[in-house]
Amino acid sequence: MCGGLRAGGGGNDVQWCFSQVKGAIDDDVAEADIISTVEFNHSGELLATGDKGGRVVIFQQETENKSQPQCRSEYNVYSTFQSHEPEFDYLKSLEIEEKINKIRWLPQKNAAQFLLSTNDKTIKLWKISERDKRPEGYNLKEEDGRYRDAATITTLRVPVFRPMDLMVEASPRRVFANGHTYHINSISVNSDNETYLSADDLRINLWHLEITDRSFNVVDIKPANMEELTEVITAAEFHPHQCNTFVYSSSKGTIRLCDMRASALCDKHSKLFEEPEDPSNRSFFSEIISSISDVKFSHNGRYMMTRDYLSVKIWDLNMENRPVETYQVHEYLRSKLCSLYENDCIFDKFECCWNGNDSVVMTGSYNNFFRMLDRSQRRDVTLEASRESCKPRQVLKPRRVCAGGKRKKDEISVDSLDFNKKILHTAWHPQENIIAVATTNNLYIFQEKVN
Amino acid sequence: MDVEAKRIMALSISKLYSLRTQRGGLSLHRSLLLSLTVRAARDIYHTAQLLRDAEEEQVVPCAPDAAIEEPMEISNDSPQTLTPKEVAMKPQEPKETLEDDKENRCASERHSRKRCCKTAVEPDFLPLKKAKMDTDEEKQHLHGEVLRTNNGNSCRQAETLTAFPTNRAIVAC
Repeated sequence: MCGGLRAGGGGNDVQWCFSQVKGAIDDDVAEADIISTVEFNHSGELLATGDKGGRVVIFQQETENKSQPQCRSEYNVYSTFQSHEPEFDYLKSLEIEEKINKIRWLPQKNAAQFLLSTNDKTIKLWKISERDKRPEGYNLKEEDGRYRDAATITTLRVPVFRPMDLMVEASPRRVFANGHTYHINSISVNSDNETYLSADDLRINLWHLEITDRSFNVVDIKPANMEELTEVITAAEFHPHQCNTFVYSSSKGTIRLCDMRASALCDKHSKLFEEPEDPSNRSFFSEIISSISDVKFSHNGRYMMTRDYLSVKIWDLNMENRPVETYQVHEYLRSKLCSLYENDCIFDKFECCWNGNDSVVMTGSYNNFFRMLDRSQRRDVTLEASRESCKPRQVLKPRRVCAGGKRKKDEISVDSLDFNKKILHTAWHPQENIIAVATTNNLYIFQEKVN
Repeated sequence: MDVEAKRIMALSISKLYSLRTQRGGLSLHRSLLLSLTVRAARDIYHTAQLLRDAEEEQVVPCAPDAAIEEPMEISNDSPQTLTPKEVAMKPQEPKETLEDDKENRCASERHSRKRCCKTAVEPDFLPLKKAKMDTDEEKQHLHGEVLRTNNGNSCRQAETLTAFPTNRAIVAC
């Protein structure tokens, strides 16, 4: 059942090539530039990133040149705006970080685009709209805004719209504040396009996109006595088609599926997904590495994927007692858990994502490595996002880590891995083989090799 | 194994302390994981100590009467004399009872057949400064609960962490 049987060329024999890299080349990384979330919109035309400084940058795919189908479409900056600012909670004497934890796009309904962005405490709905025309020919004003002398006005004219340079405006349409006592870790838009959920360590709230002054609490796992706390909520997501269903994962490695039709408060789950622990793997750090850092439904809604520190698991929604597939991401780290605890790397929260047809999943690792796990062909490959492979259309070479013993040529030993270079956030275009991989402060875009 | 456990306990405690000064406030998830690790390490350390006790028991048999009458330095209530078997079962006790222990309550798992030892010293791996935002309650708690060690100079058991302020750290969130 485990992956890693044979190194292959990536998903479905796809060969990946470098396309673009965004961000500063400096090795000296400003903390505000650290990328904290990456998300394609539903068409894949737009790619949004959020950073620790509270900014959102949106890239847009160039319209492909139809006469040259081999021409690669590139992503260029479309809009940049400051989504969140640092705040101070005076009551608790706590600073609220402006870091963007998650971005989620709303399905497009009209010409404008909408996205939700959240920091630890506040969720905001942003409208991104284009302006490519402006009215000209006012009667009372000149084109530069100065008022005309009334005595010189002898005729009346109707102002008309004339083309102008494209301007992209981002404006906050809703601010959903004061809904969470603890740190928000997830937001998820419902398939009904009217509601969304937000989850913090102990509670999940249901919001209506139009209503900002109240929300419904649907899950509350806070114990009466906080000293009895044994687990927290780590991620939550709505089912892609069933608007009554959502899942949430916990720090204990369990996933609960809840049905909002069953009751208003979903403290009681409809399904509990849990795999019994392997007693031979027990260590001081078993609790930490079993904590789930991300949960994602497949596009078809039949499966969900979870990421814990060392593995990726695929669950069939109809089977609760164990995952249907388990892939080791970097098993060679199991013997290094103590050092990883010392340098805090063991707490890193890796995300994972599905490709458009749910046949391949992707997740990040250390040393700027990321892993592609092909479910249908039972192959996996490790690739690297590095400035050294940045020539246009350069094919990425598979990387191998040597766990011990004699290191072969082209292999890298576990002790040489750079644990400061971690890939926590990745995203896959919903339809095409285009992926966005975020290193600390750079965004790499890779595409399928076109012959 | 218990040396490793002790090291991990110390490491975890210092991480918990440093969490308080982090920007963005205390992370509940991180504090929970750290305190779970402290407990796991504590349990192993605890068990290792008890096993060692049991071994020493067999190696150095004392005159039973004299040993039982030996007064404990820091003792309050709770029965002190337990057989090794009972002691070995103690770690399965719910952790909440340990947290309920007040300062200076002797861990009831202790065997009394030991010589009195010199006063325990505060270990050097704890931060010197106490957090400024502590409430009075927390301050009282912190004052009593320090990891005591006798540096191996005595056969008397070092106290394990009782009612450790890890839970206070969570409550403070």
